[in-house]
Amino acid sequence: MDLQDLILSLSRFWSEYGCVIQQPCDLEIGAGTMHPETFLRVLGPEPYNVAFVQPSRRPADARFGENPFRLGKHLQMQVILKPSPHEVQELYLKSLTALGIEPSFHDVRFEEDNWESPTLGAWGVGWQVLLDGMEITQFTYFQQAGGLDLQPIAAELTYGLERIAMFLQRKDSIYDLTWGGGIAYGKVRHQDEVELSRFAFHVADVEMLRRHFEDWERESVRCLEQEEPLVVPGLEAALKMSHLFNLMDARGAVAVTERVALIGRVRKLAVRCAKAFVAQRERLGFPLLARRGGEA
Amino acid sequence: MSHQFLLALLCEEIPANALPGARRQLEQGFAKGLEEAGFAGCTVRAFSTVRRLVVHVTGLAAGQPDRIEEVTGPPARAAFTPDGSPTAVALGFARGQGVSVDQLRVVKGSRGDVVAVTRRVKGRTAPEILAEVTTEVVGSLHFPKTMRWGAGEHTFVRPLHNIVAVFGAETMDEVVPLDLFGLGSRGSTAGHRVVAPGRIEMRGITGFEDYAARLEAAGVVVDPDARRAKMLARAEMLAAEVGCTVRPDPVLLDELVELVEHPGLVRGKFSSRFLELPEEVLVTTLRHHQKSLVLEKNGRVAGYFLAVADRPDDPEGHIARGYSWVAGARLADAAFFYAQDQRDSLESRVPALAGVMFHRTSGSYLDKTNKVRQLAVELARQAQLEISLEHLERAAWLAKADLVTAMVGEFAELQGVMGGIYALGDNEPEEVWMAVADQYRPAGLEGPIPRTLTGAMLGVADRLDTLAALLASEKPSGSKDPFALRRAALAVVKICAEFPLPLDVLDACHRAVVGRPGGDEAELQAFLQDRVRHYLTNVVGVRADVADAVLTAHWGVIAADVARARALETVRRDEVFGSLAIVFKRVRNILTKGTHGVLDERVLAVPAERELLAAVAAAEIRVAESLDEDDHEAALHALAPLATPLDRFFTEVMVLCDDSILKDARLALLARIERLFLRLADVSRLATEAR
Repeated sequence: MDLQDLILSLSRFWSEYGCVIQQPCDLEIGAGTMHPETFLRVLGPEPYNVAFVQPSRRPADARFGENPFRLGKHLQMQVILKPSPHEVQELYLKSLTALGIEPSFHDVRFEEDNWESPTLGAWGVGWQVLLDGMEITQFTYFQQAGGLDLQPIAAELTYGLERIAMFLQRKDSIYDLTWGGGIAYGKVRHQDEVELSRFAFHVADVEMLRRHFEDWERESVRCLEQEEPLVVPGLEAALKMSHLFNLMDARGAVAVTERVALIGRVRKLAVRCAKAFVAQRERLGFPLLARRGGEA
Repeated sequence: MSHQFLLALLCEEIPANALPGARRQLEQGFAKGLEEAGFAGCTVRAFSTVRRLVVHVTGLAAGQPDRIEEVTGPPARAAFTPDGSPTAVALGFARGQGVSVDQLRVVKGSRGDVVAVTRRVKGRTAPEILAEVTTEVVGSLHFPKTMRWGAGEHTFVRPLHNIVAVFGAETMDEVVPLDLFGLGSRGSTAGHRVVAPGRIEMRGITGFEDYAARLEAAGVVVDPDARRAKMLARAEMLAAEVGCTVRPDPVLLDELVELVEHPGLVRGKFSSRFLELPEEVLVTTLRHHQKSLVLEKNGRVAGYFLAVADRPDDPEGHIARGYSWVAGARLADAAFFYAQDQRDSLESRVPALAGVMFHRTSGSYLDKTNKVRQLAVELARQAQLEISLEHLERAAWLAKADLVTAMVGEFAELQGVMGGIYALGDNEPEEVWMAVADQYRPAGLEGPIPRTLTGAMLGVADRLDTLAALLASEKPSGSKDPFALRRAALAVVKICAEFPLPLDVLDACHRAVVGRPGGDEAELQAFLQDRVRHYLTNVVGVRADVADAVLTAHWGVIAADVARARALETVRRDEVFGSLAIVFKRVRNILTKGTHGVLDERVLAVPAERELLAAVAAAEIRVAESLDEDDHEAALHALAPLATPLDRFFTEVMVLCDDSILKDARLALLARIERLFLRLADVSRLATEAR
């Protein structure tokens, strides 16, 4: 199965289940969890089911296109089911069937793996899903986001798309995967992995990154201090800070001593955004709650 | 007739580390709850799989016995007239209790006589009680981590999907109605998710064996011991098929047993080119990152491994292929790191330690390296160790360099081990690379200690430095010890005791702390002493009062402290040590009351004094001789002849007399005795049975 077939199959599956099929967050972010369609939607009482692909940037993981398993930018398929349905594990297994992975011929195990994001003030409890020994999905019941206790609880399924594709195609290098249309992953992405690696490790202007980190911090605060707080712009500014931090880190420009403090500054804003979002939804009367009543 | 109860909770996958504790708590909780409810003599057994918690109780009565209860009412004065006839109050009370007025009695209450009636109260049925106990015990189970789900109203280890709760005598056909986290109990459950996901009825179930058999038919082995035995048997069979044996790994096997409902294993293999990797790297990759058992041939790792699978078979070979593929990828990663690391010498990496923080209060690992290097050499000089100080210094300099290698960056548990391998590759002397390799030994109370004296000295110096640096800010409290300082201190104790190292730990603490801002020598010594006590009672196996008696006398050269404790543990059973303990307590008490000068023997003229003086002089000689021969038992025995003269002394002589010259001489005599005892142990600390 091509990488793009994989994406299409999963999108089709979760669309049929009733998810909103969203598009990736159009910023550089490290994981689908940071997408406002996850980070904000899991807050408050409103139900929400959504799925999207998120290119996830982790500059420090970049390997100049030389390592067969590691990328500075990889693809996640992110699914949020809020509240988490009672049969969420069975649902997940059905989604594997949609990829041609028939659980009755494989070993699928859910091994404890809890997740925490200090940057987002978020944590959850769950598993890594192992398919014949290979980690293919991170499965998390969110407990807290933006420092707020969540209720109801959302389930987050994060499929590692390259991993699953390697498994399905039995390829020993990411770059040998077939992406689709008869073209290999390497042909589509190798050059930009090389360039992104060079940028992240050697070229990125540390002074500029640091300056922009401060700029976007002020901008985020300004957004949140508007009479009617601008929640999504405030969050997006904080997400930019997170990526700037990751670049500084890859450049080796983050002293061990300042690391915690820098992450704390992003978290502080994420927490403010979370509070502002819940307050905003409350003012709006939690519109998605109404759908459960007569309207739906 | 004896009844039984079966409770089986079906959950989403429970973390392996939560299961042994849950089983223990279920057994204890049910036994306690049922006993308190009046069900004596029940047997409770708990079982589990990765998705199930199961409790089986036998020896239950059908219900609580009826009990006689006395209900007290209004004061007798109000209920009866002086001539004894009942008033309206008595009639009202009797009516309220449903008895006739002639059944009322008068009993003594706390405020005078009151009217009372004795009633028989029907005991409650076992199912009622079982429902209550289940709710209470399951609701108060403690897990390392809990979660909420769905509407977020309940908290448990993982979401709950089914509750079986059945009760009965020969067959458990009665469903015990109960509610947990919004879910009701029923008389059926589901089998293995993939192998047999259908419903399993509990009707007609005769006991745990029947339950276990019904589940096994549905792909689930509920008894962890049974899973372990089956897994081990399968492991041996899969190994034998390729002419190998399983490298024993009980710790990993224990974990694998908790990860599944069915004890399945598959055999994977990897390319023989990876066999050129250091064995530690191979084993760590397979064991830690794939939770796989390692197969060996003639004691060497073979190109196969066994991985856990939660099913009995591998119908299309996908599972073995999958695992092999993942293992190959991970080993390729490791081989890549290994090759990359070997491009540069270990020594060339030392400067990079400046960029790795040891602790926010104590600078980088390069700072630590310098401190440990200096401390190790100082301590070795002080203890007059017969080692090359040059090698020790070299080992200390290279010790932490592997922290900045790619391999340790990826496999943190290989720290030290990789340093040793890379140092060997750099042609460092054996003393040096072995010391680097062994610096983290022992990992706990069980693990082996460093192989060489250089390694032992390095390990002690490194940990003393860590303790001196971190004790002020990271002192462990309760179960919190994020920097494993207790383990570090215990490792110091274990190495000093078992190598043994002729090191004075008190002096070593001083050297580790000196010049360090905020360092507290006394605190570090007390912290170590606490671990010595722990070591004496838990590893050497002496009684707590023996450890106390030895350590309060003096301590510091731990191997010698251990020898004294061992000796005291043996001799304390001797009856005379009971008397010595009591009489020495008097010595110590009285010495707190007066000052004493030089002992002027001429002043001591009373026979009891002369006798004691002679006994002390004799004992001193024998103690000294015995200690010269390191015979601590003989030294302790040499104290025994002092018991009788001391006793007589206290009976016949008034120590704190008015004649100050005499008083001083007597106190000085006792002080001499105290000094002699304290060379060995403060036997006043020994617990004495009342006589």
